[in-house]
Amino acid sequence: MILSFLMANNRAIVTGKIQLGFTLCIVLGMMSCSDPGGDSASDPRLFVVTTTTMITDLVKDIAGDEVRIKGLMGPGVDPHLYEPVPNDGIALREADLVFYNGLLLEGQMTGFLEGKGDKSFALGSSVAQGNLKGSNEHPDPHIWGDARLWAGCVPVVVNALAELDPGHAEIYRKRGGEVRMKLEKLHQWALQRGVEVPEQARVLITSHDAFEYFGQAYGFKVIGLQGISTVTEAGIAERVKLVDYIRQHSVKAIFVESSVSPAAIESIAADSGVKIGGELFSDAMGQPGDIERSGDEEYDLGTYSGMLKHNINTTVNALK
Amino acid sequence: MNLHRIFVEPWQSHASHYWPVFAMAFFVTVACGLIGNYLVLRRISLVGDAISHSVLPGIAIAFILTGSRSGTPMFIGALVAGVAATLLIEVLHSRSRLKQDAAIGITFSTLFAIGVILISIHGAHTDLDLDCVLFGKMDFLPGREPVFLGVPGVTVTMAVVAICVGLLIIIFYKELLVSSFDPSLAASMGINPRLVHYLLMAILSVVVVAAFISVGAILVIAMLILPAATACMLSDRLWLMMILSVLHAFISSLGGVHLAVALQVPTAPASVVVGAVCFVVVWIVSPRQGLISLWLRSHRADRAPEVRSAGNV
Repeated sequence: MILSFLMANNRAIVTGKIQLGFTLCIVLGMMSCSDPGGDSASDPRLFVVTTTTMITDLVKDIAGDEVRIKGLMGPGVDPHLYEPVPNDGIALREADLVFYNGLLLEGQMTGFLEGKGDKSFALGSSVAQGNLKGSNEHPDPHIWGDARLWAGCVPVVVNALAELDPGHAEIYRKRGGEVRMKLEKLHQWALQRGVEVPEQARVLITSHDAFEYFGQAYGFKVIGLQGISTVTEAGIAERVKLVDYIRQHSVKAIFVESSVSPAAIESIAADSGVKIGGELFSDAMGQPGDIERSGDEEYDLGTYSGMLKHNINTTVNALK
Repeated sequence: MNLHRIFVEPWQSHASHYWPVFAMAFFVTVACGLIGNYLVLRRISLVGDAISHSVLPGIAIAFILTGSRSGTPMFIGALVAGVAATLLIEVLHSRSRLKQDAAIGITFSTLFAIGVILISIHGAHTDLDLDCVLFGKMDFLPGREPVFLGVPGVTVTMAVVAICVGLLIIIFYKELLVSSFDPSLAASMGINPRLVHYLLMAILSVVVVAAFISVGAILVIAMLILPAATACMLSDRLWLMMILSVLHAFISSLGGVHLAVALQVPTAPASVVVGAVCFVVVWIVSPRQGLISLWLRSHRADRAPEVRSAGNV
């Protein structure tokens, strides 16, 4: 009797496993249709890997179609929460060049990025020590908030590309110059918009300290509810202080961020009776092709200039 | 064509990437799976999860003392905090009427809370969170320089850790076995069950923290439970459970790599899912404890009473 049970069960094991394997194969086969299409060994162009969306956009503007680019972090991905997938690891290994933000924005990844040796370049390294915010040992990594600082990163990209791909050096230099001009124009435009807000009203209150460079460049006093990292939670004392501050200075609006949960800012808005001025892009840009209209202007939120314009317009329109 | 991409290509054109990832996943799951057998027996399977939270004050203190977020101080801080947590759990459990689960809950949540407070005071403007400074990203592992058979140094370290765990279990098999099942018998045999437990917990902390740095938390926490839980569905004998755990570790790490390739998701959670699927399959079809055999047994028992007596023997 017992023997026959065992035999029946053994058969059940075998059939079960075969069936499961079969189902698994079908499921896998179906899912693999959405292959992200990573590598093509036949492509003779330089293969460049970038981390954040801002860097991907900058490198695309400079390198154009002369190189193959893979940005690791997608739109809306907070660098703190980014999880690499196998193709990302392969891309990083195969990359001829890697551009990353540095200043520890990439956290644990930094070691792997530095591991590429002279093939990897941290854009943050182009910022002079005196221009960095935060403490000396732990500078604030959100340098893209200031278009002029960001323009200062262009030579890092241009020189690296030109050295590895001398055949296209001229075109990289030319595009680099154009990008710098474009960023300078953007900077001037942002400065002009900034002064539309009365001086005492230029206070930017957001979820975390990602806007120090932005605030300094365009004349806003910046108050972040959380620390620099998006993971630390705001203490009750900080909350109370912030609500008091909003009431005393009759701040007109506070702001949520695209890659941070809006709950904390929403509750502060409810407590202090202030309105939420809109959503700002902090650690990642918007979806490419997502066009925003402001006045008679149109811009793509998936580009650096579109992102900065959105942040400036949202802030200025809500505070002025 | 697609199957070729998922099952064959990883071992051809990208073998230099997937081989270290698989090796790392395997050694982590073996080391965790072997120790996990004792944790499941002692009803402290969640101690891995507890350690993953308890390390926070450790890295916070290491940061305050050294002002650095680099690997070595973080590792030492995490290790000390991990050992402290396991010791606290045992002290709390043995010196009070609390069961292990309550002792684990009190210890890790308190330590985690202390960590949050320390970071709020000293590092509010620093990016000091576990994901950032401690937990590794498995899929970037092959970016490191290979040192031996195409795998990087951390994988070699993990392999050594796994082998040491295996050797220790073989050498102290009797001591661990007796003190896990019957502490009073162990004491009468001249074995100090508490000492054995502390040593086991110390080894566990080393394995867990070493693994966190390379593969993150999820794989480690899951693999302290899944292989042992699967194995104990198939056998009551500890040595056989150990072997089955290693088999489970192999299947889940290999399956995890392929699932990660297929869906383009991080390898660590993919391995956990494959490991869980193995568990569910065994749970359903296991000869003695499986759902099917339980159902068959109760079914037959209803019809033929004599089978029940036979089954009880």
